Amino acid sequence: MKSNILFGRIALGVYFIIFFGYLIGPLVVMGFTAFNSAAFPSITPWQCFTYEWFSELFQDERILNGIKNSFIIGFGTVILSVSIGLAASLVLTQVWAKWRSTYYTIIIAPILIPGVVLGISTLVFWRQVSDMLGGVPLLNNGIFLTIIGQSTFIASYCMLVFVARLQRFDAGLTEAALDLGATHTQAFRKILLPFMRPAIASAAVLAFLASFENYNTTTFTFGSYPTLTIELSQMVRYGINPSISALAVIIVTITVFGALTLEVLRRRSKVKAGDIKPSKGLPSWLFGNVATILLVALSFGLIAMVTTAQSYSPQQCKANYKEARQLENQIKIDALQAARAAAIAAAAANGETTEESGTDEPATQGGATGAFGGVFAPTNLEGAAGQNSGEDNGAAAPASPFGGVFDPTNLEGAAGQNSGETAPAAPASPFGGVFDPTNLEGASGTGGN
Amino acid sequence: MKKDKLFAEFFRNNGVVLGSILFFLVAFWIVFLILLPQISMLNYSLHPNPINLDAGEFADDYTLKNYKYLIFGPEGASDAFNKVDLMVFVRTIIAAMAVTVMNLFLCYPLAYFLGQSKGTGFVRLLVVMLIVPYWINEILRAFALRIIFGDVGVINGLMMQMGLIDQPYDFINADIALYAGLGYAYILLMLFPMYNVIESLDRNQIEAARDMGASWIRIHRRVVIPHAKPGIASGMTMVFMLSAGALAAPQVLGGTSSLWFTQLVYQWFNDTLNWQQGAAYAIVLLIASIAIVLTFMKIFKVNMGDIGK
Amino acid sequence: MSSGVDVNLENIWIKFGDFVAVREANVNINGGDFFSFLGPSGCGKTTILRAVSGFLNPSEGRVLIGGKDMAGLGPNKRPTALIFQNLALFPLMKVWENITFSMEVSGASAGERRKRADELLDMIALPGQGDKLPSELSGGQKQRVAIARALCAQPDVLLLDEPLSALDLKLRQHMRTELREIQQRVGITFIYITHDQGEALTMSDSVAVMRAGIIDQIGDGHAVYDTPATPFVASFVGENNVFRGKISAINGDEATIATNRSGELLSKITPAAVGKLNVGDDAMMFVRPEVLKMQEGDAKTTISAKVLNEEFEGNSYSIYLEGEGGKQIKMAMPNLGNDPHKAKGDMVSFSYDASNAVVMPAGDLASE
Repeated sequence: MKSNILFGRIALGVYFIIFFGYLIGPLVVMGFTAFNSAAFPSITPWQCFTYEWFSELFQDERILNGIKNSFIIGFGTVILSVSIGLAASLVLTQVWAKWRSTYYTIIIAPILIPGVVLGISTLVFWRQVSDMLGGVPLLNNGIFLTIIGQSTFIASYCMLVFVARLQRFDAGLTEAALDLGATHTQAFRKILLPFMRPAIASAAVLAFLASFENYNTTTFTFGSYPTLTIELSQMVRYGINPSISALAVIIVTITVFGALTLEVLRRRSKVKAGDIKPSKGLPSWLFGNVATILLVALSFGLIAMVTTAQSYSPQQCKANYKEARQLENQIKIDALQAARAAAIAAAAANGETTEESGTDEPATQGGATGAFGGVFAPTNLEGAAGQNSGEDNGAAAPASPFGGVFDPTNLEGAAGQNSGETAPAAPASPFGGVFDPTNLEGASGTGGN
Repeated sequence: MKKDKLFAEFFRNNGVVLGSILFFLVAFWIVFLILLPQISMLNYSLHPNPINLDAGEFADDYTLKNYKYLIFGPEGASDAFNKVDLMVFVRTIIAAMAVTVMNLFLCYPLAYFLGQSKGTGFVRLLVVMLIVPYWINEILRAFALRIIFGDVGVINGLMMQMGLIDQPYDFINADIALYAGLGYAYILLMLFPMYNVIESLDRNQIEAARDMGASWIRIHRRVVIPHAKPGIASGMTMVFMLSAGALAAPQVLGGTSSLWFTQLVYQWFNDTLNWQQGAAYAIVLLIASIAIVLTFMKIFKVNMGDIGK
Repeated sequence: MSSGVDVNLENIWIKFGDFVAVREANVNINGGDFFSFLGPSGCGKTTILRAVSGFLNPSEGRVLIGGKDMAGLGPNKRPTALIFQNLALFPLMKVWENITFSMEVSGASAGERRKRADELLDMIALPGQGDKLPSELSGGQKQRVAIARALCAQPDVLLLDEPLSALDLKLRQHMRTELREIQQRVGITFIYITHDQGEALTMSDSVAVMRAGIIDQIGDGHAVYDTPATPFVASFVGENNVFRGKISAINGDEATIATNRSGELLSKITPAAVGKLNVGDDAMMFVRPEVLKMQEGDAKTTISAKVLNEEFEGNSYSIYLEGEGGKQIKMAMPNLGNDPHKAKGDMVSFSYDASNAVVMPAGDLASE
């Protein structure tokens, strides 16, 4: 019996680790990549601790512009979807029982309709309306379309939040207000609205977050106003570099900060109201304290990070790393050249001439890949090429000596850096695009914008 | 007659000003945001693309050729059917179902644990830990998985350093990264509906069942799962619909050789600029996924009203 | 303070679909009266109140307040104020904001409102409690705040929907007196809804007894209690012993009933039924437990029965008796210090005064 319980505990623990590992692990890993100087986001091998991706992020015009658009659209979506959701939930409480399920089906449907479909239908419909009215620029405006498209389903989420809160509303209160001479609008404003305020706040946050992170719908409607998510998707697909991780770190930090602050505030108001219930297991005050401690620790961590970022410079480490790599490469190049010389000698001995690759310049990637299909050699060669061209503090060094030769993205990334490009959205590499249909598709997509 | 009365009552209950605002907002939403766009998309999908009209065809004509294309492929093609696109469609549906089932098994124990241990600080901490990842962009989440599953990713790096493999395993092309990413993207939508219903289950019922000597498996089969059915159905519906309609995860994590159906739709819109064809594909996706959900809801006797609770 | 105004309900019908909630209600309430609607739950009394306050429109008939037809006026346009069953205090507003809500919506300044709130708080004996939230008050205090809030609107008619039902017994009795005092002080018309006959009888100038949408009787407490118009009223208001039978003789306003199990009994005909009873009609006779005397009288007003049980209730005794054929009879005697104790199984004879019994045509009884 006892061993059974123990076994259950262990199983539960393992399950928790797996579940939360799945949930949080990727974010932690991504967080670390933001501080690794390797050009491709990775943590193995660890090169140098750096903040450079953050500064690169803040210098990226497209990211900044995307953030601006996201905020505009998020703001509009919050207003539209919260008011629609509130109205719909109020109507739901009054609709005749006979019509109720039909009505509910209609207003819950947008949650279930694929976001892609919503985006397309919004685009198509308003285009037609605009055409019918003889061309109204507003109706084809990316911001307008995105707000409309997103609100279609975000309003349903808001509606669900409001319905939950309304279930605890005493309709007698509105009647009492009317009876005391209030107009319907006054009763709404003074009685129902204050009661709904917490729900409105959470619906607004929910709506903003949903809008901010939406991709499926927005990708069809954004027009000439790409949101942050759209920009991110382009970056992720066409040129990965760790400044995306840096952005993720910022978002995670803000989120955790917000969640902890909320928890501490809630905890404080509960202490004030004196309705904290003692509970079994971990007492709830502990979590309140944990939240406070974490919050303080996080704040200190941030301050420490910002201060060190002023003075810390990874240059020395990078130089060392570069030197080490160059040394390593030199040895390998020497070895290769020796091998090649031996091969040529052997070929010459056999009376044949080998001309398919450059004799002593190994920087042509394609040739290298073709000629020496070895696992280690080509990537290293590629890295050497980057360094030889004196590129930006050696940031172009490939992330890993195991870097996949056959992965088009990798080649693409390296090529992008070689050409000194900051905005990695355009598929820069001649190799990357060819083998990857997604890239091809994206290329024309970008062209279309 | 009755309708008049209904409206009169509505305005009497809410006043003219407020009633009009409520009515306008809901009507705007239902008509202009939900119904008309879908109808308009359906209408669009029944027209030929004005750029490449066949001989004797006009842009205003109604035609089924966009749908025929999905089934039979371009006219004069060597295959009898549009094997490529149909395969993508079938694969999308089946994979979305698989992801749904995977999420169900992954979430059920946690939903049960959270639902039955009420309001302790530890549980709240868990809930915060659950929610925080979901405040982060879908793209970024997919990207995080790409870092992990990529050729130079963490898993390959670790496995190669440990000497388990000497070539990086291509998780991306094996679609493992894609399934992990889809599951990851919508796991909360499975968890929370289940958590909500299990939370409303009276603990005493479980105690009573245990008291009568029921095994854990039997308790779950006879007491917990029947009670949680609306939540399970709600979660599965949402995860399935959203996975089948996902675009971000397939674009970031999808292999080079296999596409997701939404990617085809995306291509028709953004690459080929054939909106009519794209609309037809979108309609097919919409109707197919709704039909599947309704079928399953009928089989498991779940109401529409349970969705979203 | 406004003086009381009349409230007249003219031929009111209220229907919900096929269901008739109120049938042909005609009620005239005098200005300044304390008027109660008394009836079991579901009898339509709250529906009538909602029609008066304007939350619903009668399907037929008119509501007149102070002689003016209220048709088409919403609750916020009528000179009525309603005290809700659950009080409906606004939980997010302070007590003083609750009380002066009616002034707030009509645009009064905060200073004015505060001043008025303090006056009303003094009146309801809660001085200095204005800055509390309703959740910080006790049940009785909330009750008084609700009254103050309604009075602050200076209504001509105050409507009260079972406002005491949530209070405990002691407090309820105290609040009865208080309500009556307030009503007399402000002098406006009170319309009071209750299912508690004690409340209705102690406070009201007039009571309307309702049954399933129909008003059976309107009158003051004595009329309703002593001369009920229908078997329902007789059995709903107070306790009563009922004897069923047929009329065997009629003599002016007295009748003899051949009861099913207790022989021939003499009784006064209830005023509402005078002239409507004929010999041979099915009839019911009611005798209250407290008018039964433990002594023999005339043959036609004496009943014999066996003592089943006796309960001592402090100020009185209840004696449960079983007559012929198992007829159950209850008798109540005041506790005057001389124990009337009877052994179980004793046969006793007891009588009543025919003027204290009422007979009327048979009908439905109130089901407990």
